[in-house]
Amino acid sequence: MSIKDEVFSLLGETLDVGIEELKEDKSLYDSLGVDSTEMVEVRIALKKKLGVELKDGEITNKQTLREIISIVESKKRL
Amino acid sequence: MLDIAVTGIGVISPCGLKKETFWANLKKCQSFVDEINRFDASLYPSRIAGQVHQLDVYSPISSRLVKRIDIFSHMALVASNEAITDAKLNLDDIDKKRVGVFMGNALGGWLFAETELRDMYMEGREGISPYMASAWFPAAPQGQITIYYGFKGYSKTVVSDRASSGLAIWYGAKSICDDKVDFVLAGGMEAPITPYALLCANTYGSLSKNNSNPKKAYRPFDLYRDGFVLAEGSGVVILEKIETAISRGIKPYAFIRGVGYSCDGYHRLRASLDTGSLEFAIEECLSDSGFNKDNIDYICLDGEATVIGDFLEAKALKNVFGKKLNDISLSAPKSMFGNLLGAQTSLDLIITILSMQNSLVLPTINFEEKDPYCGIEPTPNIVIRREINKALIISRGRGGINVVLCVEKA
Repeated sequence: MSIKDEVFSLLGETLDVGIEELKEDKSLYDSLGVDSTEMVEVRIALKKKLGVELKDGEITNKQTLREIISIVESKKRL
Repeated sequence: MLDIAVTGIGVISPCGLKKETFWANLKKCQSFVDEINRFDASLYPSRIAGQVHQLDVYSPISSRLVKRIDIFSHMALVASNEAITDAKLNLDDIDKKRVGVFMGNALGGWLFAETELRDMYMEGREGISPYMASAWFPAAPQGQITIYYGFKGYSKTVVSDRASSGLAIWYGAKSICDDKVDFVLAGGMEAPITPYALLCANTYGSLSKNNSNPKKAYRPFDLYRDGFVLAEGSGVVILEKIETAISRGIKPYAFIRGVGYSCDGYHRLRASLDTGSLEFAIEECLSDSGFNKDNIDYICLDGEATVIGDFLEAKALKNVFGKKLNDISLSAPKSMFGNLLGAQTSLDLIITILSMQNSLVLPTINFEEKDPYCGIEPTPNIVIRREINKALIISRGRGGINVVLCVEKA
């Protein structure tokens, strides 16, 4: 499974939404109204399930999903 | 005299999740109390309760939101949704800055708190949901309702044990009178059937321990009563001025006419043996509403079902009404499903309004032998037909918080 697929799957489960509702070119805020508290859940899930540790504010609900995937990919490569 | 109309009803209870089901089940005059089996309660002194079933089936709330809130907020959201629909409140047509939410609660949302705190101690700080901070506290449902609907008006949550939602309803009605808001969602919610909340409620010591016979356990004013039975649920009513209701083309169910309240100022848990404070609240309510004692048709009783609690309530009523009490129908219909603590008065109000609508007095079930020390017969066991135009609702919180509401049929 590609990192993009893993991120999609993780977001679907964490945010309790269908994969088809996730739009790569939109922010999670614009597409789903995800708030900053939900982003904390996403950050914890990324650490627990993908082993990607992110600092506070490193990913936000205003970044596009494509940008978030790119950050996760770069962290995974390290 | 207050002139606040009740135009919508939403109810989540152990005997129904809609107004119609709730009323149809109450008319059966049977108990909806059962053994608690959603967790191992076998070592609790009281392990019976009125429990809400199939909330998820009826709920219009998204699973994404449900997993971020405690069940007491979930029940309050569903009850609010029902009340708004029942009142035919078109949310696109009203100024949301003029809508307030006034809710009562006693314990907070412990199911969410218990499981998340367990996970934090087991897994460290990342084991706990970031929603814990906003899920457990008593005002959380008020916040969730305002966020869900975008209501921005003056809103409050009241925590006063079993008198909480009575005070919340009065506070909401008064806020309309004071022109702070045009519409109010008022009521309460309680979810005490969790391992820790049940433990707290047991510590209080007023719960029935008749675990072997749940259906017979809650028996207010009966000689063999041994305490009340816990229940969960939520009740919400829509309040507005009569002029507002008429301009919307809505016929109100009833009017909130007055309130009386007092504190015993005696002990942190026990009510004062001197019933003067409760009598003062009843007299204040009558005075506030402008009704005299001859006008009252029905009194919805607090019915704590403890030896002392019922004795004191009966004593206060006899002292205030004297022989006139014989002409008033009295009952504690909550004996059918349990006591919802901070949400109970909202259900008592809904029951009283539906009784007015149907010209029926719901009974106190399990009343088999009259207690000579109480000396009242609170409509035993079967429904009676009676026109109810004016009614009082009595709520008593732990330590002697007294709230009495006066309601008049529209």
